[in-house]
Amino acid sequence: MSLTSLVPLIGIADVVIGLSLGSRLFLIAVGLSLIFGVLGVLNFAHGGFYMLGAYVTLAVVSNVVDNFWIAVVVGALAVGVVGAAIEFSAIRRLYNRVDSDLDQLIVTFGFVLVIHEAVRFIWGSGSYSIDPPDVFNFSVTLGGSTFNAYRLVVIGLAVGVLVALWLFITRTYFGSLVRGTSSDREMAAMLGVDVPRLYTGVFFLGSVLAGLGGALSAPLQATSPALGDQVIIDAFIVVVIGGLGSMSGAFVGAMLIGMMQSLGPQFISAGSIAIPFLAMVIVLLIRPEGLFGGIGE
Amino acid sequence: MVTEDSDTENKYKQADAAETSPGGRSPVGRRRFLQAAGAGAAVGLAGCSGGGGGDGGPVTLGAANILSGFASLYGEEAERGIDFAVSEINDNGGIDGRDVEVLVRDTEASADTAIQQIRSLVQEDNVDGLFGLDSSGVAQAVAPQISQLQMPFMITHAATPFVTSPQGEHEDSVGNEYVFRDSNSLAQDIYGAARVAENLDATEWATIGPDYAFGYETWDYFQAYCDGLGVEAEFTAEQFPALATSDYTPFISSILDADPDAVLTPLWGADLTTFIGQAESAGWFDQIDHTLFSVGMGTDLPSDGSPLPEGEYASTRYDPFVPDTEANNSFREAYYEEYESLPTYNAEGAYRAVHLYKEAIESAGGTDPSALVDEFTGMEHSGPVGDYQFSETNQATVASIWGTVTYDDEWESNVLDPVNRYEAGPDVLSEALGDSDLPAGI
Repeated sequence: MSLTSLVPLIGIADVVIGLSLGSRLFLIAVGLSLIFGVLGVLNFAHGGFYMLGAYVTLAVVSNVVDNFWIAVVVGALAVGVVGAAIEFSAIRRLYNRVDSDLDQLIVTFGFVLVIHEAVRFIWGSGSYSIDPPDVFNFSVTLGGSTFNAYRLVVIGLAVGVLVALWLFITRTYFGSLVRGTSSDREMAAMLGVDVPRLYTGVFFLGSVLAGLGGALSAPLQATSPALGDQVIIDAFIVVVIGGLGSMSGAFVGAMLIGMMQSLGPQFISAGSIAIPFLAMVIVLLIRPEGLFGGIGE
Repeated sequence: MVTEDSDTENKYKQADAAETSPGGRSPVGRRRFLQAAGAGAAVGLAGCSGGGGGDGGPVTLGAANILSGFASLYGEEAERGIDFAVSEINDNGGIDGRDVEVLVRDTEASADTAIQQIRSLVQEDNVDGLFGLDSSGVAQAVAPQISQLQMPFMITHAATPFVTSPQGEHEDSVGNEYVFRDSNSLAQDIYGAARVAENLDATEWATIGPDYAFGYETWDYFQAYCDGLGVEAEFTAEQFPALATSDYTPFISSILDADPDAVLTPLWGADLTTFIGQAESAGWFDQIDHTLFSVGMGTDLPSDGSPLPEGEYASTRYDPFVPDTEANNSFREAYYEEYESLPTYNAEGAYRAVHLYKEAIESAGGTDPSALVDEFTGMEHSGPVGDYQFSETNQATVASIWGTVTYDDEWESNVLDPVNRYEAGPDVLSEALGDSDLPAGI
C-alpha cells in the first residue's frame, strides 16, 4: 500500500483522538517530570496516582455527588493528599542517602504494589466506566468521522494546565523558590527556604496533576487496576522523549505519543503499541537528553 | 466447594533458588534439594494414582479459572456452576456414595500461573481430576503439561481448536489423550459465524480482536470458512488491541475509516464491555451494518443485564432456552431460582464438567486417571446443552449457536431470538474449511 493511499484514511477524528490521548499523557508526564526536575525522585507510583484519580472520581460521581466537575476536583486533590503523605512519610527519609536513587526506586515501586492492591481491595478487579458530563456528551462529526465533544474539553484543559503551570513556575514567588531550590538545594536552604516543606508541596502538585489526568480521563477509558501500569510506561516514554524535567518537553512528547497511539493502528494492525517505544529508541540514539533536554527548565 | 489461594508459587520459587544458587554452594545443598524433589515427585505420583482422600473420603476435583482481572466474571460464573453441581450431586448420594468437593484456583489469565496452580492441585492436593480454563493462550500452554501430569483435564471454556487437534496435525497443535473439552471450540463457533455471513447482505468484512492466539485464530478460521462455503466476502481491515486495553478509540476509529459492511469481533470479558461503550459513542452501530459478537453471550453482558446492541448477532456455547428439553428447562429454572440470573455458558460448562466426572468415576468404579481417560474417550453424554459425544480428538460434538440479540424484560437479560443451532460434526467442519491447512479439532 503506498503512502498516498494511506493519507486519506487519517480523518480529523484521528487527530482529535490523538491530541486527547496526548493531553491525558501530558497531565501525568508533567507531574512526573516536575517531581524529578525538582526533587530528583523518579516516582514509579505516578501511574498508580493517575489510576487513583480515576477511581476516586468514579466513586464520588456514582456515590456522593452527581456532578462530574466536583468529582474531578475531589479526585485530583485526594491524590495530592495521598502523594504528599507518601512524600512526608517515606520518600523524605531517602533524599540524603548515598544510594538514594535505588532506594527511591524500590520505595516508589513498593507504593505501586500497595496502591494496586488497595484499589483491588476496595473496588475489585473488574472495570468501571462513566459517561462524560452531559453538557459535552454529544458526538461531533467532522470530515466523515465521529468523536465525542468531551475530547475537545480534555485537550483545552491540558493546554490550560500547561499555561497555568508555566505562569506559576515563572511568575510567582513560590515558582522562583521551586526553580532556585531545584538548581541548588543547599544554597536555597541557607537562604532560609524551608526545603522539606517545599518538596512536599511540589510532590503534592505533581500528584494532583496525575490525579487530574486520571479524573479527566475516566469518561474516556475503562478504569481497572491495570490502568496504572499501562500509563506509567507511556509517561516514562513521554518524559524520555521530551527531556527529563522539561515542561514543554512533556507537552510536545505527550502530543507526539498521543498521535502515534491514534494513528498507529492505521498502519499496523497488531503491535501498534510498539511504535512509541521505537520512537523513544530513536530519540535516545539521536538526542540522549531528549528533544527538550535540560533538567530543571 | 472450597476456594483457596495457593502459596505454591513461593515454594516453587524457593526450590528454583536452591537449584540455581550461584557461587557453587556446597554440593550437599544440591543433593538435599534433589532428595526433596524426589520426595515431591513421589507425592505427586501418589496423587496421580488417584489416592485422593482414600476410597472412603471425598472425591476431590481441581478447577482453574480466571478469578481476577479483566475476565474475572468468567471464574465467578464457573464457581456458580460448580457449586450448583456439587450440591446437586452431594444431595443425591454423591459419587458412588462419596461426596465431591472442588478446589478452585485463580489462573489470573496467565499461563505461568495456571501451570503452577494445576501442578499444585495435582501434587499437593492430590485431586482426582481437573477442569476449567478460560483463555485459549493459557490452554495451549497448559495442554502439554497436562500430558506430563497424566491427569484428565476437561476444558470448559477456552476455545482454541489446537488443544483438540492431535500433536503433529498442525504446527500449533497440542492435543493429547488427557485433554478433553465439553464446550464447543472456536472452529465450531466460527463455522456458525460463516453460516450467518452467508445470509447477510455484506461483502466487506473486518475484525477487531484481542492480540493473542484467540483473536488471530478467529479471523483465520472465519476467512477459511467463507472461502470453503463460497461466501462472497472481502476481508478489508483488522485490528488486534492488547488484552485489557482501556481505550479502544484509536482501533475503533481505524475500522470506521475502512468502512466495512460487517465486523466479526471475538473481544470478550470486560474488554467487550469497554469496547461496546466506546464503539457506541463513536457512532459504530450507525455506520456498520452488522456486528457479529462471537463471545457476546459470554458472561459480563448477560449477567449484569447491560444490553448488547439489539439486532446485532452473537453466539454462545450454551443457550438457556435451546434445546427445549426437560434437562435444559429444569436446569435453567433451578439455576435462576438459586442465583436470580440465567445460567451463562461458563456456568453450564463447569456444571457439566462435574457431572461428567461423576459419570466417568461411577462407570470406571474409581478415580484412576487412565481409567477416567478411557471413560471420557468417545463418551456419550447428555446435559442442559443437549446430547453429544466426545469425538476422536476428545472434542464434544455440541452445536454452534448463533442468533439475534434481543433484550428480554422477563429475564432481565440479553437473549438470542431468533436463534439457530448449526450442527457441526467433524465431516461438516473439515469440508467447510476447504483448502485451508487449519485443523477442525474435532
